[in-house]
Amino acid sequence: MTVELTVDKVSRAFGGVYAVRDVSLTVPAGELRAVIGPNGAGKSTLFALIGGQLAADTGTVALDGIRVERRPAHRRGIGVVFQTARVFHGMTAFENVMVGAHAVTRAGFLAAALRLPRHHRDERRIREKALTCLDRVGLADWADRPAEELPLGQQRSLQLARALCGEPRLLLLDEPASGLRAAEREHLATLITRLRTEGLTILLVEHDVAFVMRLADRITVLDLGRVIADGTPAEVRANPEVRTAYLGPETVRPSEPHPGVEGVAG
Amino acid sequence: MSGPVPPARGRGGTVNRWAIAVVAVLTLALPPLLPERHLATFVLLLLAATVTVGVSLLMGYAGQVSLGQASFYAIGAYAAALPAVHGVPSLLGLALAPVAAAVAAVLLGAPLLRLRGHHLAFATLAVQLILLSLLAQADWAGGAIGLQGIPRLTVLGVELRDLGYAYAAWLVLAAALLIARNIVDSRPGRALRAAATSETAAAASGVAIGRHRLAVFTLSAAMAGLAGGVYAFYLGYLSPGSFPVLLSIEFVVMAVVGGLGTIAGPVVGATVIILLVQVLNTLGTQPGMPDYAPSVLSYAVYAVLLIVCVLYLPRGLVPALRRTGRRPS
Repeated sequence: MTVELTVDKVSRAFGGVYAVRDVSLTVPAGELRAVIGPNGAGKSTLFALIGGQLAADTGTVALDGIRVERRPAHRRGIGVVFQTARVFHGMTAFENVMVGAHAVTRAGFLAAALRLPRHHRDERRIREKALTCLDRVGLADWADRPAEELPLGQQRSLQLARALCGEPRLLLLDEPASGLRAAEREHLATLITRLRTEGLTILLVEHDVAFVMRLADRITVLDLGRVIADGTPAEVRANPEVRTAYLGPETVRPSEPHPGVEGVAG
Repeated sequence: MSGPVPPARGRGGTVNRWAIAVVAVLTLALPPLLPERHLATFVLLLLAATVTVGVSLLMGYAGQVSLGQASFYAIGAYAAALPAVHGVPSLLGLALAPVAAAVAAVLLGAPLLRLRGHHLAFATLAVQLILLSLLAQADWAGGAIGLQGIPRLTVLGVELRDLGYAYAAWLVLAAALLIARNIVDSRPGRALRAAATSETAAAASGVAIGRHRLAVFTLSAAMAGLAGGVYAFYLGYLSPGSFPVLLSIEFVVMAVVGGLGTIAGPVVGATVIILLVQVLNTLGTQPGMPDYAPSVLSYAVYAVLLIVCVLYLPRGLVPALRRTGRRPS
Protein backbone atom coordinates (compact mmCIF):
# COMPACT_ATOMS: atom_id res chain seq x y z
CA MET A 1 0.00 0.00 0.00
CA THR A 2 2.75 2.40 0.88
CA VAL A 3 5.20 3.70 -1.72
CA GLU A 4 8.57 5.24 -2.34
CA LEU A 5 8.48 8.84 -3.52
CA THR A 6 11.14 10.00 -5.94
CA VAL A 7 11.41 13.63 -6.94
CA ASP A 8 14.04 14.18 -9.62
CA LYS A 9 15.39 17.58 -10.67
CA VAL A 10 12.05 19.31 -10.37
CA SER A 11 11.90 23.01 -11.21
CA ARG A 12 9.14 25.54 -11.28
CA ALA A 13 9.45 29.22 -12.04
CA PHE A 14 6.95 32.04 -11.65
CA GLY A 15 7.56 34.91 -14.02
CA GLY A 16 11.22 34.04 -14.48
CA VAL A 17 11.89 33.59 -10.76
CA TYR A 18 12.54 30.03 -9.65
CA ALA A 19 10.44 28.99 -6.66
CA VAL A 20 11.86 25.49 -6.83
CA ARG A 21 15.04 24.71 -8.77
CA ASP A 22 16.45 21.26 -9.55
CA VAL A 23 15.11 19.74 -6.36
CA SER A 24 15.69 16.02 -6.00
CA LEU A 25 14.74 13.87 -3.06
CA THR A 26 13.85 10.27 -2.40
CA VAL A 27 11.55 9.21 0.42
CA PRO A 28 11.73 5.43 0.97
CA ALA A 29 8.48 3.58 1.62
CA GLY A 30 7.29 4.02 5.19
CA GLU A 31 9.52 6.97 5.98
CA LEU A 32 8.37 10.20 7.57
CA ARG A 33 10.25 12.92 5.78
CA ALA A 34 10.10 16.55 6.72
CA VAL A 35 10.88 19.40 4.38
CA ILE A 36 11.82 22.58 6.18
CA GLY A 37 13.09 25.96 5.17
CA PRO A 38 12.57 29.65 5.86
CA ASN A 39 9.70 31.60 4.32
CA GLY A 40 10.02 31.69 0.55
CA ALA A 41 12.25 28.64 0.44
CA GLY A 42 9.88 26.93 -1.99
CA LYS A 43 8.38 24.45 0.46
CA SER A 44 4.78 25.05 -0.53
CA THR A 45 5.64 25.04 -4.22
CA LEU A 46 7.38 21.69 -3.84
CA PHE A 47 4.35 20.42 -1.95
CA ALA A 48 2.05 21.50 -4.77
CA LEU A 49 4.30 19.99 -7.42
CA ILE A 50 4.16 16.61 -5.70
CA GLY A 51 0.47 16.82 -4.90
CA GLY A 52 -0.42 17.89 -8.42
CA GLN A 53 -1.86 21.31 -7.60
CA LEU A 54 0.94 22.80 -9.73
CA ALA A 55 2.63 21.45 -12.83
CA ALA A 56 6.42 21.24 -12.89
CA ASP A 57 8.31 23.07 -15.65
CA THR A 58 10.91 20.32 -15.73
CA GLY A 59 11.78 17.22 -13.73
CA THR A 60 9.87 14.14 -12.66
CA VAL A 61 7.83 12.94 -9.70
CA ALA A 62 7.47 9.17 -9.31
CA LEU A 63 5.67 6.85 -6.91
CA ASP A 64 7.40 3.46 -6.80
CA GLY A 65 9.05 4.31 -10.09
CA ILE A 66 5.81 5.23 -11.86
CA ARG A 67 5.90 8.79 -13.09
CA VAL A 68 2.94 10.90 -12.02
CA GLU A 69 4.06 14.46 -12.76
CA ARG A 70 1.74 14.72 -15.74
CA ARG A 71 -1.26 13.27 -13.99
CA PRO A 72 -3.91 15.62 -12.64
CA ALA A 73 -4.17 15.77 -8.84
CA HIS A 74 -7.22 13.54 -8.70
CA ARG A 75 -5.36 10.65 -10.32
CA ARG A 76 -2.20 10.60 -8.22
CA GLY A 77 -3.40 8.59 -5.23
CA ILE A 78 -1.77 11.04 -2.85
CA GLY A 79 -3.54 12.12 0.34
CA VAL A 80 -3.21 15.85 0.95
CA VAL A 81 -3.70 18.03 4.01
CA PHE A 82 -3.55 21.70 3.10
CA GLN A 83 -2.30 24.44 5.34
CA THR A 84 -5.28 26.71 4.86
CA ALA A 85 -8.34 24.92 6.14
CA ARG A 86 -9.84 23.57 2.96
CA VAL A 87 -12.83 21.81 4.42
CA PHE A 88 -15.99 21.71 2.34
CA HIS A 89 -18.60 24.21 3.49
CA GLY A 90 -22.27 23.40 3.79
CA MET A 91 -21.39 19.80 4.54
CA THR A 92 -21.06 17.99 7.84
CA ALA A 93 -17.73 16.73 9.10
CA PHE A 94 -18.90 13.23 8.25
CA GLU A 95 -19.79 14.21 4.68
CA ASN A 96 -16.41 15.89 4.30
CA VAL A 97 -14.66 12.67 5.13
CA MET A 98 -17.03 10.75 2.86
CA VAL A 99 -15.76 12.84 -0.06
CA GLY A 100 -12.32 11.48 0.79
CA ALA A 101 -13.47 8.00 -0.21
CA HIS A 102 -14.19 9.25 -3.72
CA ALA A 103 -10.97 7.86 -5.18
CA VAL A 104 -11.62 4.34 -3.94
CA THR A 105 -15.30 4.03 -4.96
CA ARG A 106 -17.05 4.07 -8.30
CA ALA A 107 -20.81 4.74 -8.14
CA GLY A 108 -21.66 7.49 -10.63
CA PHE A 109 -24.59 9.74 -11.51
CA LEU A 110 -26.74 7.05 -13.03
CA ALA A 111 -26.32 4.70 -10.09
CA ALA A 112 -27.09 7.57 -7.70
CA ALA A 113 -30.07 8.98 -9.61
CA LEU A 114 -31.76 5.60 -9.95
CA ARG A 115 -30.54 4.28 -6.61
CA LEU A 116 -29.01 1.20 -8.27
CA PRO A 117 -27.51 -1.55 -6.08
CA ARG A 118 -24.06 -0.24 -6.85
CA HIS A 119 -24.95 3.07 -5.20
CA HIS A 120 -26.10 1.34 -2.02
CA ARG A 121 -23.05 -0.91 -1.96
CA ASP A 122 -20.66 2.01 -2.35
CA GLU A 123 -22.58 4.18 0.06
CA ARG A 124 -22.33 1.56 2.78
CA ARG A 125 -18.63 1.21 2.18
CA ILE A 126 -18.07 4.97 2.16
CA ARG A 127 -19.92 5.40 5.45
CA GLU A 128 -17.97 2.68 7.18
CA LYS A 129 -14.66 4.03 5.93
CA ALA A 130 -15.54 7.61 6.80
CA LEU A 131 -16.58 6.67 10.29
CA THR A 132 -13.40 4.70 10.87
CA CYS A 133 -11.30 7.62 9.66
CA LEU A 134 -13.20 10.16 11.76
CA ASP A 135 -12.68 7.92 14.75
CA ARG A 136 -8.98 7.58 13.98
CA VAL A 137 -8.42 11.31 14.24
CA GLY A 138 -10.71 11.58 17.27
CA LEU A 139 -13.56 13.45 15.57
CA ALA A 140 -16.29 10.81 15.88
CA ASP A 141 -18.26 13.06 18.21
CA TRP A 142 -18.17 15.91 15.70
CA ALA A 143 -19.55 13.90 12.79
CA ASP A 144 -22.82 15.83 12.40
CA ARG A 145 -21.37 19.32 12.87
CA PRO A 146 -21.04 21.59 9.84
CA ALA A 147 -17.36 21.32 8.93
CA GLU A 148 -16.76 25.08 8.73
CA GLU A 149 -17.89 25.51 12.34
CA LEU A 150 -15.13 23.29 13.68
CA PRO A 151 -12.12 24.96 15.37
CA LEU A 152 -8.98 25.19 13.26
CA GLY A 153 -7.29 22.24 14.95
CA GLN A 154 -10.28 20.03 14.27
CA GLN A 155 -10.48 21.23 10.70
CA ARG A 156 -6.88 20.12 10.23
CA SER A 157 -7.71 16.74 11.73
CA LEU A 158 -10.78 16.59 9.52
CA GLN A 159 -8.62 17.12 6.46
CA LEU A 160 -6.37 14.35 7.71
CA ALA A 161 -9.35 12.01 8.11
CA ARG A 162 -10.51 12.95 4.62
CA ALA A 163 -7.08 12.21 3.17
CA LEU A 164 -6.87 8.86 5.00
CA CYS A 165 -10.31 7.88 3.73
CA GLY A 166 -8.90 7.75 0.19
CA GLU A 167 -6.41 5.06 1.22
CA PRO A 168 -3.47 7.17 0.08
CA ARG A 169 -0.16 5.58 -0.80
CA LEU A 170 1.58 8.76 0.23
CA LEU A 171 0.43 11.43 2.64
CA LEU A 172 1.38 15.08 2.12
CA LEU A 173 1.01 17.53 4.97
CA ASP A 174 1.52 21.27 4.43
CA GLU A 175 2.44 23.03 7.68
CA PRO A 176 -0.10 21.02 9.66
CA ALA A 177 0.99 22.53 12.97
CA SER A 178 0.69 26.17 11.98
CA GLY A 179 -1.88 28.14 13.93
CA LEU A 180 -2.56 25.30 16.32
CA ARG A 181 -2.54 25.60 20.10
CA ALA A 182 -0.05 23.51 22.08
CA ALA A 183 -2.55 20.79 22.97
CA GLU A 184 -3.78 20.54 19.38
CA ARG A 185 -0.19 20.36 18.21
CA GLU A 186 0.49 17.48 20.59
CA HIS A 187 -2.59 15.65 19.40
CA LEU A 188 -1.49 16.08 15.81
CA ALA A 189 2.05 14.89 16.55
CA THR A 190 0.65 11.74 18.16
CA LEU A 191 -1.57 11.13 15.16
CA ILE A 192 1.23 11.55 12.65
CA THR A 193 3.51 9.29 14.66
CA ARG A 194 0.84 6.63 14.71
CA LEU A 195 0.35 6.83 10.94
CA ARG A 196 4.10 6.54 10.50
CA THR A 197 4.13 3.42 12.70
CA GLU A 198 1.40 1.94 10.51
CA GLY A 199 3.86 2.18 7.63
CA LEU A 200 2.45 5.11 5.63
CA THR A 201 4.97 7.16 3.65
CA ILE A 202 4.59 10.74 4.83
CA LEU A 203 6.01 14.00 3.54
CA LEU A 204 5.64 16.82 5.99
CA VAL A 205 6.32 20.40 4.92
CA GLU A 206 6.81 22.51 8.01
CA HIS A 207 8.00 25.88 9.11
CA ASP A 208 8.21 24.95 12.79
CA VAL A 209 11.58 23.23 13.23
CA ALA A 210 10.89 22.06 16.78
CA PHE A 211 7.78 20.23 15.62
CA VAL A 212 9.58 18.20 12.96
CA MET A 213 12.83 17.55 14.79
CA ARG A 214 11.18 14.98 17.02
CA LEU A 215 8.84 13.49 14.40
CA ALA A 216 10.82 13.06 11.21
CA ASP A 217 13.04 10.17 10.22
CA ARG A 218 14.94 12.45 7.90
CA ILE A 219 14.80 16.11 7.06
CA THR A 220 15.37 17.90 3.78
CA VAL A 221 16.22 21.58 4.06
CA LEU A 222 15.29 24.00 1.30
CA ASP A 223 16.55 27.51 0.87
CA LEU A 224 15.82 29.80 -2.07
CA GLY A 225 14.31 26.90 -4.01
CA ARG A 226 17.27 24.52 -3.65
CA VAL A 227 18.09 21.62 -1.37
CA ILE A 228 20.88 22.75 0.97
CA ALA A 229 20.89 19.80 3.34
CA ASP A 230 19.44 16.33 3.78
CA GLY A 231 19.88 14.05 6.76
CA THR A 232 18.67 12.85 10.11
CA PRO A 233 17.37 15.50 12.50
CA ALA A 234 20.67 15.39 14.40
CA GLU A 235 22.71 15.83 11.22
CA VAL A 236 20.58 18.68 10.04
CA ARG A 237 20.74 20.35 13.42
CA ALA A 238 24.52 20.13 13.32
CA ASN A 239 24.87 21.37 9.75
CA PRO A 240 26.40 24.86 9.86
CA GLU A 241 24.90 25.82 6.49
CA VAL A 242 21.43 25.08 7.79
CA ARG A 243 22.05 27.03 10.94
CA THR A 244 23.10 30.06 8.95
CA ALA A 245 20.38 29.89 6.31
CA TYR A 246 17.49 28.90 8.40
CA LEU A 247 18.03 29.09 12.09
CA GLY A 248 20.26 32.13 11.97
CA PRO A 249 23.90 32.23 13.08
CA GLU A 250 22.87 32.03 16.73
CA THR A 251 19.96 29.72 17.48
CA VAL A 252 17.58 31.83 19.45
CA ARG A 253 14.48 29.91 18.50
CA PRO A 254 12.90 28.19 21.51
CA SER A 255 12.75 24.43 21.04
CA GLU A 256 9.20 24.35 22.33
CA PRO A 257 6.51 26.90 21.53
CA HIS A 258 6.60 29.74 23.96
CA PRO A 259 3.63 29.66 26.34
CA GLY A 260 2.92 33.31 25.65
CA VAL A 261 2.79 33.11 21.87
CA GLU A 262 1.09 29.79 21.34
CA GLY A 263 -2.07 29.93 19.35
CA VAL A 264 -0.82 32.83 17.28
CA ALA A 265 -1.22 31.81 13.65
CA GLY A 266 2.22 31.23 12.18
CA MET B 1 -15.45 2.42 16.14
CA SER B 2 -17.74 4.17 18.54
CA GLY B 3 -21.41 4.99 18.29
CA PRO B 4 -23.88 4.28 15.53
CA VAL B 5 -23.31 5.40 11.95
CA PRO B 6 -24.82 8.90 11.72
CA PRO B 7 -27.27 9.50 8.88
CA ALA B 8 -25.85 11.53 6.02
CA ARG B 9 -28.53 14.19 6.29
CA GLY B 10 -30.74 13.45 9.21
CA ARG B 11 -32.80 16.06 11.08
CA GLY B 12 -36.55 15.98 10.68
CA GLY B 13 -36.69 13.14 8.18
CA THR B 14 -40.16 12.06 9.28
CA VAL B 15 -41.47 15.64 9.39
CA ASN B 16 -40.18 16.12 5.86
CA ARG B 17 -41.79 12.92 4.69
CA TRP B 18 -45.16 14.03 6.02
CA ALA B 19 -44.84 17.48 4.48
CA ILE B 20 -43.98 15.95 1.12
CA ALA B 21 -46.95 13.59 1.32
CA VAL B 22 -49.33 16.44 2.14
CA VAL B 23 -48.03 18.63 -0.69
CA ALA B 24 -48.22 15.70 -3.11
CA VAL B 25 -51.83 14.91 -2.21
CA LEU B 26 -52.88 18.56 -2.40
CA THR B 27 -51.24 19.16 -5.76
CA LEU B 28 -52.73 15.95 -7.14
CA ALA B 29 -56.21 16.94 -5.95
CA LEU B 30 -55.94 20.49 -7.25
CA PRO B 31 -56.10 20.23 -11.08
CA PRO B 32 -59.76 19.06 -11.44
CA LEU B 33 -60.83 21.97 -9.22
CA LEU B 34 -59.07 24.62 -11.29
CA PRO B 35 -60.81 26.63 -14.01
CA GLU B 36 -59.20 26.18 -17.43
CA ARG B 37 -57.31 29.47 -17.33
CA HIS B 38 -55.70 28.61 -14.03
CA LEU B 39 -55.03 25.05 -15.10
CA ALA B 40 -52.74 26.45 -17.80
CA THR B 41 -50.86 28.40 -15.16
CA PHE B 42 -50.61 25.24 -13.06
CA VAL B 43 -49.10 23.24 -15.93
CA LEU B 44 -46.64 25.97 -16.87
CA LEU B 45 -45.70 26.37 -13.22
CA LEU B 46 -44.85 22.69 -12.86
CA LEU B 47 -42.82 22.75 -16.06
CA ALA B 48 -40.94 25.88 -14.98
CA ALA B 49 -40.28 24.25 -11.60
CA THR B 50 -38.84 21.21 -13.37
CA VAL B 51 -36.39 23.35 -15.31
CA THR B 52 -35.56 25.23 -12.12
CA VAL B 53 -34.73 21.98 -10.30
CA GLY B 54 -31.95 21.53 -12.85
CA VAL B 55 -30.83 25.16 -12.58
CA SER B 56 -30.75 24.90 -8.80
CA LEU B 57 -28.73 21.70 -8.97
CA LEU B 58 -26.28 23.43 -11.26
CA MET B 59 -26.07 26.69 -9.28
CA GLY B 60 -26.57 25.52 -5.74
CA TYR B 61 -24.62 22.32 -5.71
CA ALA B 62 -22.16 22.65 -8.57
CA GLY B 63 -21.58 26.40 -8.24
CA GLN B 64 -22.19 27.08 -11.94
CA VAL B 65 -24.56 29.63 -13.45
CA SER B 66 -26.40 29.06 -16.70
CA LEU B 67 -28.20 32.02 -18.27
CA GLY B 68 -29.23 29.91 -21.22
CA GLN B 69 -31.30 27.19 -19.66
CA ALA B 70 -34.28 28.11 -21.84
CA SER B 71 -32.26 26.92 -24.83
CA PHE B 72 -32.42 23.36 -23.50
CA TYR B 73 -36.12 23.86 -22.84
CA ALA B 74 -36.40 24.88 -26.50
CA ILE B 75 -34.26 22.03 -27.76
CA GLY B 76 -36.42 19.56 -25.85
CA ALA B 77 -39.59 21.15 -27.17
CA TYR B 78 -38.47 21.08 -30.80
CA ALA B 79 -36.97 17.60 -30.45
CA ALA B 80 -40.34 16.32 -29.23
CA ALA B 81 -42.49 18.30 -31.65
CA LEU B 82 -40.62 17.87 -34.95
CA PRO B 83 -40.80 14.06 -35.14
CA ALA B 84 -44.40 14.14 -33.93
CA VAL B 85 -45.33 16.56 -36.69
CA HIS B 86 -43.88 14.05 -39.14
CA GLY B 87 -45.93 11.19 -37.79
CA VAL B 88 -43.61 9.70 -35.18
CA PRO B 89 -45.56 8.54 -32.09
CA SER B 90 -45.74 11.45 -29.68
CA LEU B 91 -44.51 9.44 -26.69
CA LEU B 92 -41.35 8.60 -28.62
CA GLY B 93 -40.95 12.30 -29.35
CA LEU B 94 -41.28 13.03 -25.66
CA ALA B 95 -38.61 10.46 -24.86
CA LEU B 96 -36.35 12.16 -27.42
CA ALA B 97 -36.71 15.55 -25.72
CA PRO B 98 -34.38 14.99 -22.72
CA VAL B 99 -31.96 12.98 -24.85
CA ALA B 100 -31.60 15.76 -27.43
CA ALA B 101 -31.13 18.39 -24.70
CA ALA B 102 -28.56 16.21 -22.94
CA VAL B 103 -26.60 15.63 -26.14
CA ALA B 104 -26.61 19.36 -26.82
CA ALA B 105 -25.38 19.98 -23.27
CA VAL B 106 -22.51 17.53 -23.64
CA LEU B 107 -21.41 19.12 -26.90
CA LEU B 108 -21.69 22.65 -25.52
CA GLY B 109 -20.55 21.85 -22.01
CA ALA B 110 -17.25 20.29 -22.93
CA PRO B 111 -15.79 23.63 -24.02
CA LEU B 112 -18.07 25.90 -21.94
CA LEU B 113 -17.41 24.37 -18.53
CA ARG B 114 -13.78 25.38 -18.74
CA LEU B 115 -15.15 28.85 -18.18
CA ARG B 116 -15.94 29.87 -14.63
CA GLY B 117 -18.54 32.02 -12.93
CA HIS B 118 -19.70 34.95 -15.00
CA HIS B 119 -17.95 33.67 -18.10
CA LEU B 120 -20.07 30.53 -18.14
CA ALA B 121 -23.18 32.64 -17.57
CA PHE B 122 -22.36 34.85 -20.54
CA ALA B 123 -21.38 31.93 -22.72
CA THR B 124 -24.67 30.12 -22.06
CA LEU B 125 -26.52 33.37 -22.70
CA ALA B 126 -24.71 33.65 -26.04
CA VAL B 127 -25.62 30.06 -26.85
CA GLN B 128 -29.26 30.86 -26.38
CA LEU B 129 -29.10 33.96 -28.58
CA ILE B 130 -27.42 31.92 -31.29
CA LEU B 131 -29.98 29.14 -30.98
CA LEU B 132 -32.87 31.61 -31.22
CA SER B 133 -31.51 33.20 -34.37
CA LEU B 134 -30.81 29.78 -35.92
CA LEU B 135 -34.34 28.65 -35.10
CA ALA B 136 -35.78 31.79 -36.64
CA GLN B 137 -34.02 30.94 -39.93
CA ALA B 138 -34.72 27.21 -39.90
CA ASP B 139 -37.68 26.79 -42.22
CA TRP B 140 -37.82 23.07 -41.50
CA ALA B 141 -38.58 23.96 -37.89
CA GLY B 142 -41.18 26.53 -38.77
CA GLY B 143 -38.77 29.46 -38.81
CA ALA B 144 -39.72 32.68 -37.11
CA ILE B 145 -43.40 32.00 -37.70
CA GLY B 146 -43.25 28.89 -35.65
CA LEU B 147 -44.04 25.21 -35.76
CA GLN B 148 -47.76 24.52 -35.93
CA GLY B 149 -50.01 21.51 -35.85
CA ILE B 150 -48.13 19.62 -33.20
CA PRO B 151 -50.31 16.62 -32.32
CA ARG B 152 -51.40 16.05 -28.76
CA LEU B 153 -49.55 13.63 -26.53
CA THR B 154 -50.98 10.14 -26.78
CA VAL B 155 -50.33 7.72 -23.93
CA LEU B 156 -51.51 4.11 -24.38
CA GLY B 157 -53.87 5.19 -27.13
CA VAL B 158 -55.45 7.94 -25.03
CA GLU B 159 -55.02 11.49 -26.22
CA LEU B 160 -54.20 13.74 -23.28
CA ARG B 161 -56.62 16.56 -22.51
CA ASP B 162 -55.75 19.57 -20.34
CA LEU B 163 -56.12 17.63 -17.12
CA GLY B 164 -53.86 14.93 -18.50
CA TYR B 165 -51.09 17.45 -19.08
CA ALA B 166 -51.39 18.64 -15.51
CA TYR B 167 -50.66 15.12 -14.33
CA ALA B 168 -47.96 14.56 -16.93
CA ALA B 169 -46.23 17.74 -15.78
CA TRP B 170 -46.67 16.65 -12.17
CA LEU B 171 -44.96 13.34 -12.91
CA VAL B 172 -42.12 15.04 -14.76
CA LEU B 173 -41.53 17.42 -11.83
CA ALA B 174 -41.73 14.60 -9.30
CA ALA B 175 -39.15 12.63 -11.28
CA ALA B 176 -36.83 15.65 -11.47
CA LEU B 177 -37.14 16.25 -7.72
CA LEU B 178 -36.51 12.61 -6.91
CA ILE B 179 -33.44 12.48 -9.12
CA ALA B 180 -32.12 15.74 -7.67
CA ARG B 181 -32.58 14.45 -4.14
CA ASN B 182 -30.88 11.18 -4.99
CA ILE B 183 -27.93 12.94 -6.60
CA VAL B 184 -27.36 15.43 -3.81
CA ASP B 185 -27.01 12.71 -1.22
CA SER B 186 -24.65 10.43 -3.11
CA ARG B 187 -21.03 10.00 -4.04
CA PRO B 188 -21.14 12.24 -7.14
CA GLY B 189 -23.40 14.75 -5.34
CA ARG B 190 -21.03 15.15 -2.43
CA ALA B 191 -18.14 15.49 -4.88
CA LEU B 192 -19.96 18.35 -6.63
CA ARG B 193 -20.79 20.12 -3.39
CA ALA B 194 -17.18 19.73 -2.30
CA ALA B 195 -15.86 21.17 -5.56
CA ALA B 196 -18.13 24.19 -5.12
CA THR B 197 -16.14 25.15 -1.97
CA SER B 198 -12.63 24.12 -2.95
CA GLU B 199 -11.73 22.71 -6.32
CA THR B 200 -8.19 22.07 -5.11
CA ALA B 201 -9.22 20.03 -2.11
CA ALA B 202 -11.88 18.16 -4.07
CA ALA B 203 -9.36 17.23 -6.76
CA ALA B 204 -6.91 16.13 -4.09
CA SER B 205 -9.66 13.83 -2.80
CA GLY B 206 -9.83 12.18 -6.21
CA VAL B 207 -12.74 14.10 -7.73
CA ALA B 208 -12.54 14.61 -11.51
CA ILE B 209 -14.20 18.02 -11.32
CA GLY B 210 -14.63 18.70 -15.02
CA ARG B 211 -16.38 15.42 -15.65
CA HIS B 212 -18.70 15.88 -12.68
CA ARG B 213 -19.65 19.40 -13.75
CA LEU B 214 -20.32 18.25 -17.28
CA ALA B 215 -22.53 15.47 -15.91
CA VAL B 216 -24.63 17.81 -13.77
CA PHE B 217 -24.87 20.35 -16.60
CA THR B 218 -26.11 17.53 -18.83
CA LEU B 219 -28.57 16.37 -16.20
CA SER B 220 -29.95 19.88 -15.77
CA ALA B 221 -30.32 20.16 -19.54
CA ALA B 222 -32.13 16.83 -19.69
CA MET B 223 -34.62 18.06 -17.07
CA ALA B 224 -35.19 21.24 -19.07
CA GLY B 225 -35.54 19.18 -22.24
CA LEU B 226 -38.14 16.85 -20.77
CA ALA B 227 -40.16 19.80 -19.49
CA GLY B 228 -39.83 21.37 -22.94
CA GLY B 229 -41.22 18.21 -24.53
CA VAL B 230 -44.36 18.33 -22.41
CA TYR B 231 -44.64 22.05 -23.13
CA ALA B 232 -44.57 21.46 -26.89
CA PHE B 233 -47.41 18.92 -26.82
CA TYR B 234 -49.40 20.96 -24.35
CA LEU B 235 -49.36 24.17 -26.38
CA GLY B 236 -49.39 22.50 -29.79
CA TYR B 237 -47.42 25.41 -31.21
CA LEU B 238 -43.78 26.46 -30.90
CA SER B 239 -41.82 29.46 -32.07
CA PRO B 240 -38.46 30.97 -31.17
CA GLY B 241 -40.47 33.66 -29.40
CA SER B 242 -41.68 31.07 -26.88
CA PHE B 243 -38.15 30.87 -25.46
CA PRO B 244 -36.91 34.40 -24.85
CA VAL B 245 -33.78 35.14 -22.86
CA LEU B 246 -36.11 36.47 -20.19
CA LEU B 247 -37.27 32.90 -19.65
CA SER B 248 -33.71 31.81 -18.86
CA ILE B 249 -33.41 34.66 -16.39
CA GLU B 250 -36.75 33.69 -14.92
CA PHE B 251 -35.41 30.20 -14.15
CA VAL B 252 -32.37 31.65 -12.41
CA VAL B 253 -34.52 34.06 -10.37
CA MET B 254 -36.83 31.21 -9.38
CA ALA B 255 -33.86 29.16 -8.21
CA VAL B 256 -32.35 32.02 -6.22
CA VAL B 257 -35.62 33.19 -4.67
CA GLY B 258 -36.60 29.67 -3.68
CA GLY B 259 -33.21 28.95 -2.21
CA LEU B 260 -30.17 27.43 -3.85
CA GLY B 261 -28.90 24.21 -2.41
CA THR B 262 -32.34 23.01 -1.35
CA ILE B 263 -34.57 20.48 -3.03
CA ALA B 264 -37.85 22.27 -2.31
CA GLY B 265 -36.43 25.68 -3.30
CA PRO B 266 -37.13 25.44 -7.03
CA VAL B 267 -40.78 24.51 -6.43
CA VAL B 268 -41.30 27.34 -3.94
CA GLY B 269 -39.41 29.80 -6.15
CA ALA B 270 -41.33 28.86 -9.28
CA THR B 271 -44.65 29.10 -7.43
CA VAL B 272 -43.93 32.53 -5.97
CA ILE B 273 -42.66 33.99 -9.24
CA ILE B 274 -45.36 32.54 -11.48
CA LEU B 275 -48.16 33.67 -9.18
CA LEU B 276 -46.65 37.13 -8.86
CA VAL B 277 -46.17 37.48 -12.60
CA GLN B 278 -49.75 36.30 -13.07
CA VAL B 279 -51.05 39.00 -10.75
CA LEU B 280 -48.92 41.67 -12.42
CA ASN B 281 -49.97 40.46 -15.84
CA THR B 282 -53.60 40.88 -14.89
CA LEU B 283 -52.74 44.34 -13.62
CA GLY B 284 -50.75 45.21 -16.74
CA THR B 285 -53.52 44.19 -19.12
CA GLN B 286 -56.18 46.29 -17.39
CA PRO B 287 -57.86 48.76 -19.77
CA GLY B 288 -55.98 52.02 -19.89
CA MET B 289 -52.55 50.42 -19.35
CA PRO B 290 -50.02 50.92 -22.13
CA ASP B 291 -49.36 47.76 -24.15
CA TYR B 292 -45.77 47.51 -22.95
CA ALA B 293 -46.96 47.36 -19.33
CA PRO B 294 -47.00 43.55 -18.93
CA SER B 295 -43.42 43.02 -20.08
CA VAL B 296 -42.11 46.01 -18.16
CA LEU B 297 -43.86 44.80 -15.04
CA SER B 298 -42.51 41.27 -15.38
CA TYR B 299 -38.95 42.52 -15.87
CA ALA B 300 -39.47 44.78 -12.89
CA VAL B 301 -40.68 41.98 -10.69
CA TYR B 302 -37.62 39.85 -11.46
CA ALA B 303 -35.31 42.73 -10.76
CA VAL B 304 -37.02 43.77 -7.53
CA LEU B 305 -37.39 40.22 -6.28
CA LEU B 306 -33.78 39.41 -7.02
CA ILE B 307 -32.57 42.53 -5.22
CA VAL B 308 -34.85 42.02 -2.22
CA CYS B 309 -33.89 38.39 -2.05
CA VAL B 310 -30.15 39.02 -2.23
CA LEU B 311 -30.44 41.78 0.37
CA TYR B 312 -32.76 40.20 2.92
CA LEU B 313 -32.89 36.50 2.13
CA PRO B 314 -29.53 35.79 0.59
CA ARG B 315 -30.05 32.07 0.91
CA GLY B 316 -33.59 32.13 -0.44
CA LEU B 317 -37.07 31.47 0.89
CA VAL B 318 -36.80 27.81 1.84
CA PRO B 319 -33.72 28.12 4.08
CA ALA B 320 -35.21 31.28 5.63
CA LEU B 321 -38.51 29.55 6.41
CA ARG B 322 -36.66 26.55 7.75
CA ARG B 323 -34.66 28.73 10.12
CA THR B 324 -37.76 30.47 11.50
CA GLY B 325 -39.39 27.09 11.88
CA ARG B 326 -36.49 25.73 13.91
CA ARG B 327 -36.13 28.71 16.18
CA PRO B 328 -37.49 27.73 19.60
CA SER B 329 -40.38 30.02 20.55
